[in-house]
Amino acid sequence: MTDTVLKLDNISKNFGPIKAADDINIEVGQTEFFALLGPSGSGKTTMLRMIAGLEKPDTGTISISGRDVTNEPPYRRGIGMVFQDFLLFPHKTVAENIMFPLKMQGASEKDKRENLQWVSNLVHLEGLEERYPHQLSGGQKQRVALARGLVSRPSLLLLDEPLANLDRELRKEMEVEIRRFQIELAIPFVYVTHNQEEAMTMSDRMAIMRDGKMEQVGEKFSLYHDPASQFVASFLGSPNAFEGVVSSVEEGIAQINWFGHSIRARAHDGLQPGDRAVCYVKSEKISMLESGGALTGVLRDIIFKGQYADYLVSLGDGHEITVSGAPMTGLKKGAPMHLDWDPGKADAFRAQGGAQ
Amino acid sequence: MSSNKRLFWWLVAPGAIFLILFLILPLASIVVFSFWRTESYTLIPDWNLDNYIRILTDWTYIKFLLRSLSMATIVSLICLVFSWPIAFFIARYGGKFKLIYLLLTSAPFLTGEILRVTALQQILGPIGVINMALSTFGFEPIQALMYTNTATAIGLTYLWIPFMVLAIYLSLLNFDFELLEVAKVNGARPLRAFWEITWPLNRAGSAIGVVLVFIPTLASSITSKFLGGPNGALYGNILANQFGSTGTWALGSAMGVVLFAISLIVLYIVWKMVGDLKRSGVTIKGGAEL
Repeated sequence: MTDTVLKLDNISKNFGPIKAADDINIEVGQTEFFALLGPSGSGKTTMLRMIAGLEKPDTGTISISGRDVTNEPPYRRGIGMVFQDFLLFPHKTVAENIMFPLKMQGASEKDKRENLQWVSNLVHLEGLEERYPHQLSGGQKQRVALARGLVSRPSLLLLDEPLANLDRELRKEMEVEIRRFQIELAIPFVYVTHNQEEAMTMSDRMAIMRDGKMEQVGEKFSLYHDPASQFVASFLGSPNAFEGVVSSVEEGIAQINWFGHSIRARAHDGLQPGDRAVCYVKSEKISMLESGGALTGVLRDIIFKGQYADYLVSLGDGHEITVSGAPMTGLKKGAPMHLDWDPGKADAFRAQGGAQ
Repeated sequence: MSSNKRLFWWLVAPGAIFLILFLILPLASIVVFSFWRTESYTLIPDWNLDNYIRILTDWTYIKFLLRSLSMATIVSLICLVFSWPIAFFIARYGGKFKLIYLLLTSAPFLTGEILRVTALQQILGPIGVINMALSTFGFEPIQALMYTNTATAIGLTYLWIPFMVLAIYLSLLNFDFELLEVAKVNGARPLRAFWEITWPLNRAGSAIGVVLVFIPTLASSITSKFLGGPNGALYGNILANQFGSTGTWALGSAMGVVLFAISLIVLYIVWKMVGDLKRSGVTIKGGAEL
């Protein structure tokens, strides 16, 4: 990658028997919004703390702008960080909080004032400078935390679930704002979250983590549409899962026998006829046909969500499938349903214990 | 009277009566005696200001008062400096043994004050461990440790340091140590992070610790009696003399009132500091105001 700012090479870290990071390699470019996505306990926060210098990796190197900082303390890394609980200094005013990184660098009074002005305008905090953190709302606190992270124009901004403590409306608003800051400043943001919507809304590229391992790294579209592992396929979106035995594999498409139904999907993990496989189909990739289709059933319920609706289809043998689509007025509960999908948009993996 | 109110009075009464009987009344009587005079071991209710004029103009009394004031100041500061690292490391890294470590710092209290001071004599005195060891190896004994104010200061520090540790520790229990990580990521070296974040947010703990050490040290007499030697007497020793051998109770009462007044001033200063803290917007983690 050209213009790489952050580079992690073979990073591993154990906490006792727990592998928090297992041979992680990441590169983040100059203008990239990079999301680290994973369930809690997947090691994503540890990853971020190692980049910040708050934890030391057991092995591997971390470099920022071409400089090896693996053994540098946090205060020499020149990065900004935004924390989940805001973590504003309660005894300092908004202005003092924001100017803190500049004060630590020994910036001049004029410099501090200018940068304060610039960043307050950027994050819309004008007029709040003399307040104390306990006089601010959650959203305002978050803006102050962002301003503090950005004020010294760091080469890299780390964000640790910064929106987790905000309500939904505010979160939506901040998602757009944060993305705007990143584009405006043209510095890389590394954003840790367990919320895939957040990650998808803001990021250019994402890494999916599980149990300290990097499951898949790439453009958000390719991760969503072309999952490379069972975990990624099951984690992103709201997929239906079908577990059965592979009956044939032709031109990369596996045919799976699922309770007597024949299901088709792209074959991964070198699936062979006779293998147990689990197939994931995202609910919006299933189409509802007039007739025919791989699966037939009756419409049990419609969950109206505004912009779209979830159709719950009972297959008669007790199984239920969720199909997402545009809300339709013509459909009534109990209507016969014919479902099918493009096998190139479904993915089958070797079944493991704990599959959905 | 509602049952809640009645319950309130029943609960408050024992403590209130105790305080009135054994704190307020004796204090009031001391204030009264301080305006009387003593003659041949008898208090004479002859209202006058002589006692105060004497202790506030006679250089001997002023000297002992200044000595005690500087002793209290120095001992408080030493306790403060020594206690911070102890309290910090217990609170930060004590894990599940926090409470045990804290209780260990109060181990000296398992014995009486006189026993503790005597034990210190065995270390600091002319035939104490330090000086005996020095002379065994052919060195001069350290004069500063033998019956001097320095020895008294060491003894007082040893006596009162657990209170300071406790005060700072309790303050640190409510401190969000993650703020230090924030400071470090934002460019603060560890010592700078301490001054910018830990110290101001725990000023209340330091202040309470200083009060807990300063006031008893100001009035102390036993430690200086045992470790300070004949020339190391403090205000407290002179005060004790008035109620002992010399029997000048009225003068002693006036000295006591002066001590009390100084203690109130110290409390006022500390209260002001904590007041400032509240105005500066300090909130305990979780949002409760100080």
